[in-house]
Amino acid sequence: MSRTAVFAREQLRAPFTLALLIAIPALFVISAAGVLSDFAGALGGSLAGDASVALSAGWAAAFISGALGFFQAASSRDADRRLALAGLGAPRVAASRIAASVLLAVVAATAAFVALELRIEVAHPLHAAVAVLAFALLYLAVGVLVGSIISAPLEGSLLVVFVFLLDAFAGPGMSGSPPPWAISQHAADILIAAGLGTGSPAGDWVKLALVTVGSLAAAFCVFVVSARSRA
Amino acid sequence: MTGPTASSATGLALAVAEVTKAFSSGPPWHHRRIAVLRGASLEVRAGELVGLVGENGSGKSTLMQVIVGLLARDGGKVERPGRLGYCPQQPLLWGKLTVAEHFELFARAYRLDDELASDSRDGLLAELRFTKYLGYRVEELSGGTRQKLNLALALLHEPQLLLLDEPYSGFDWETYLRFWEMAERRRADGMGILIVSHLLAERERLTRIYELREGRCELL
Repeated sequence: MSRTAVFAREQLRAPFTLALLIAIPALFVISAAGVLSDFAGALGGSLAGDASVALSAGWAAAFISGALGFFQAASSRDADRRLALAGLGAPRVAASRIAASVLLAVVAATAAFVALELRIEVAHPLHAAVAVLAFALLYLAVGVLVGSIISAPLEGSLLVVFVFLLDAFAGPGMSGSPPPWAISQHAADILIAAGLGTGSPAGDWVKLALVTVGSLAAAFCVFVVSARSRA
Repeated sequence: MTGPTASSATGLALAVAEVTKAFSSGPPWHHRRIAVLRGASLEVRAGELVGLVGENGSGKSTLMQVIVGLLARDGGKVERPGRLGYCPQQPLLWGKLTVAEHFELFARAYRLDDELASDSRDGLLAELRFTKYLGYRVEELSGGTRQKLNLALALLHEPQLLLLDEPYSGFDWETYLRFWEMAERRRADGMGILIVSHLLAERERLTRIYELREGRCELL
């Protein structure tokens, strides 16, 4: 069995985690999406109707994946470092740990997307599916990055939530013009467009791919550095 | 320098020379630097069983982590062989993985072929008498059995140098005695072993003992 499969199996042996991976995105899309447009209005945004429902799927996948990435990296940090030092090397351990987390992020994204499809008829389901997955991967990267630096559960999870809130409140539909540091803005643009039935320009897809790959690469690098000798 | 050395020529399994390590604490406006190691030096030769004792907080685990490479040192030199076994004070294991999966992961890390890994694993399970727990998850094991796994993972690849940090905490008396028999057998086979403990009751079994006091190693 590969290292990735062993690490993924480790997480799947926590049935409550698996239940949350599916239940939280589904419940959020089904029950909370309706209030997002009111919330956006209060913040000065223009999010409404199907666009807000579509965006809620991205947020739901992002939130649960960020938490998952953080706890995966933080809770296994010392044992992962021991394995890296035993001869496996930090890059291989990082790749396996992140790959295992990606498998679980896919589960969360699938749950969010299925809930979205059940709630509304999405005009561009493939676009929406990719954008929801991108949300999940972006926040998985944020979670792994934070978990590689901070192992304390309270501080680490608060930081992940803080990044999520800043990003969500400043993102498309929620504020007038998203700041450049809003990491999920391209995913949100594509998801909102998919919900409204309009396509997205090629430039948005390229930017989304760059941000997603860049985020995962940053998480990988920070994981590798943190698995080596500490000062 | 940390890494492979001329140990085969000199018989040295581990050479630690004038290692220093300090930790910073507190906010920038109330910054404190606590020196833990102030020029610690020790040696372990192949076939030696060496003890390192010291009071709580004397820096034994810090020195061990510097030797292993978990902590970067501020100064000094560490020379150790490439094939190193490390048994940390707290079992560093994954709670939801089984004993068998732990052996599998570490066998790959040590680059053991399947047959050698299997033989070595079975030998250690029998030696430490926990074969029946092979399919158990770590979270289902008692503290003593976790410690057995912690030790077995350090021994899986028959290292040239074995570093043991409080290795028998949680062991019952019978396992404690078996641990010393295992250590002596491996010493007789040429393994260099460094045992760190706040309390070493089996002094007659040791080649020599260092005491870590005020950041330096003194021969007892």
